[in-house]
Amino acid sequence: MAANGKQKEIIGEQVEATADASDSEGSETETEHQDSSVPSASTPSTSGKSKKKKRSKAARALNALRGGGKDSVPQEVVDVVLNKVRNEHGDSVPGGPDAVNEETIRLALQQMKLKEMLQGKTGIGGKNAKDVGAHKFWNTQPVPHFGEEEPTTDGWVEAPKPIEELRQDPYPLPKDFEWASVDLSNPNQLKEVYELLSANYVEDDQAAFRFQYSAEFLKWALQPPGYHPEWHVAVRVASNKKIVAFIAAVPLQLRVRDNILNASEVNFLCIHKKLRSKRLAPVLIKEVTRQCNLKGVFQALYTAGVLLPTPVSTCRYYHRCLNISKLVNIHFVSVPQNQTLARMIRLNKVPEKPRLIEPQYGMRELEDKDVPEVAALYERYMKRFGMAIHFTEEEVRHHFLSGRGNGPSVKDSWKTPREGQVVWSYVVENPRTHKITDFFSFYSLPSTVIGNTKHNILNAAYLMYYATEVAFEDGAEESGRLKKRLEELIGDALVIADQSKFDVFNALTLMDNNLFITDLKFGGGDGMLYYYLYNWRTPLLAGVTATGDAPVGRGIGVVML
Amino acid sequence: MVEYRPSPSFDGAAKYLSNASSLASVSNTVKLELYGLFKYLTVSHIPNTGKPSIFDFTGRAKWDAWNTTGSTYGDRAEDAENRYLEIATSLGWKEGTTTEPEPEASTSASSNTAAGDEDDIWDKDTDGPKRSGGGFGVKVSMVSQETEEMREVGSLHALVLDGDVAGVEKHLQDHPDTNLNELDEHGYTPLHIASDRGHTKVVELLLSKGADKAIKDPDEFTALELAEVAEHDDIVTLLR
Repeated sequence: MAANGKQKEIIGEQVEATADASDSEGSETETEHQDSSVPSASTPSTSGKSKKKKRSKAARALNALRGGGKDSVPQEVVDVVLNKVRNEHGDSVPGGPDAVNEETIRLALQQMKLKEMLQGKTGIGGKNAKDVGAHKFWNTQPVPHFGEEEPTTDGWVEAPKPIEELRQDPYPLPKDFEWASVDLSNPNQLKEVYELLSANYVEDDQAAFRFQYSAEFLKWALQPPGYHPEWHVAVRVASNKKIVAFIAAVPLQLRVRDNILNASEVNFLCIHKKLRSKRLAPVLIKEVTRQCNLKGVFQALYTAGVLLPTPVSTCRYYHRCLNISKLVNIHFVSVPQNQTLARMIRLNKVPEKPRLIEPQYGMRELEDKDVPEVAALYERYMKRFGMAIHFTEEEVRHHFLSGRGNGPSVKDSWKTPREGQVVWSYVVENPRTHKITDFFSFYSLPSTVIGNTKHNILNAAYLMYYATEVAFEDGAEESGRLKKRLEELIGDALVIADQSKFDVFNALTLMDNNLFITDLKFGGGDGMLYYYLYNWRTPLLAGVTATGDAPVGRGIGVVML
Repeated sequence: MVEYRPSPSFDGAAKYLSNASSLASVSNTVKLELYGLFKYLTVSHIPNTGKPSIFDFTGRAKWDAWNTTGSTYGDRAEDAENRYLEIATSLGWKEGTTTEPEPEASTSASSNTAAGDEDDIWDKDTDGPKRSGGGFGVKVSMVSQETEEMREVGSLHALVLDGDVAGVEKHLQDHPDTNLNELDEHGYTPLHIASDRGHTKVVELLLSKGADKAIKDPDEFTALELAEVAEHDDIVTLLR
């Protein structure tokens, strides 16, 4: 969504710049200039004084906010949020427990204009044409809107329509553009989509990194069993046929709590950077929705890094740094004040060989013969989570096996990626019973490093699905056995990723990840991923925060590619 | 490291802006741009520290401004300087001056700004570059910088950590009896920190003042070994 992609930036800029406004009264920048441009003025005493000055200004600004200006946040709201943050995050809040107090909470809420947003007066990030536009679009869509009560029961927003009542013609496009469905089996068309995404897809807030999905990855992600070519929707320039926008959906059987939905998973919405003002995103969304409807699919699952109406869950990214030197060099992470790079490298070193690969434990690469057992184990394990995808054996074969690249699976395959490999899947086979007791998987999604002279590519591995029989033993969770087993499995995933020259291993606060991310030395990321359901209401699912019915992560059992 | 030397005009403009009353009435967007340009020209092209915590709004806004300047101008430091001078000129600076002609207007403007600025910013979202694409899909994330206990502002170790070579020089001038090899609370000498973080000029300065290169840090690394691990080749040469 171009408009929403922009919206994200707007949120960021406004929140931050406005915070600066309330803190500065116009002289914050001057102070900074004084300190460093005129060395003679930067003696310790002067710096101390300007610090003090800043603080009192901040205090005054906060007092002004508290005084009930037009944007003031009610005391009750501050109290509720403050308690919630303290209860749920304790000391793990960025900046330490001291960073969370009435002032910071009030300020944060202030910046978000939460009150007005809840009242529906503004879009996220304040009033502006784009926000209103984006809102206008979502207000027409069958999704829960901001300001509505959280649903208490599950069900569709809009009843499914018989096929003859559906719109049969594509939505109109601005002149000079035309619809096309992309055939990803055609190498040329696959390359066209790959090139659009490589240059124009999701970047981080500082535009330092941009996802670079490989062509193999796109084919793997978008052509699962039963895929519909019509759901790979592109916009071409009428004159030169160049692809300038893309959106894709794939079919899946999605369980949301107790309901099983024939749904689609919508992903890879991308609009060429030069066309971001044409408001193509809404029409792309409407067109892919129409294509889904024509196949009798009226529900969809999608995620975004931006806040739209209205998430069913929010997950936070966590990162396990592997190649410390490189990650520091590209500013993916920085050296903490109390460490040196050398110490950081030592602290983050992983073993050179996976522990479970020793014959007495029985870990090896997934093979075709394992598919039925893995499918059954997956199915049982995913019942732990509020929302999960049902995979047939054919789908398990596709998602866990088909992306393994070209070349044989040999004893030392864990040391080197195969050509074109996008997914890594390992099972543990009990050496005595020969039953599959565990599996885990991760996939490769590199990012382009923008504007770094030394490194062009950030090689990132993303944790995908895993399961272990240990979870079904009595008291496995309470006794810590499940946590221990997952640490062994994912710990070995880290070793394999490290050997395969991944720079970082990423995971979200979903499934059982919360059990091991801290002890396996994952660090909190600055990215959040919002989960959305189209045309389906359900109470909030536990992601980065717990809900009444589930602990952290346990609402979400779906990994989006 | 900054290879580009800002011109005398820049120094004049910076001095002017450090006291200019006209700054009080400009939007934060402009102030942040000035801040970004200033840091770009005087410290490094992109921030040499991690991104501040999400609760540190001001710090993040500044960090972003600096980072944006870096990606906008790349190696075109002259363009960045010209832009800085252009803004300074629009705020009343004239080539060859360092102070305002009339200092009397300074207080009247500031009373309106607390309220005025905020509205300003909410409406200024169209300023500045907009880059992020996509929307549906997953999110690019990086490790978020947790705010840590800061070293004492203006201390030798803090100045060294910032790579503020002028500040270090000044500090040593003002405090001639400073122990150059003093360990901070984490067990590092100033030379350890400068060698690890890659502040070549600071290493040069510390060595010229007689800092001891043989001292080992808590992990048994010398400054040379820290620089080797961090691949700061120029510092390795200095320390050999």
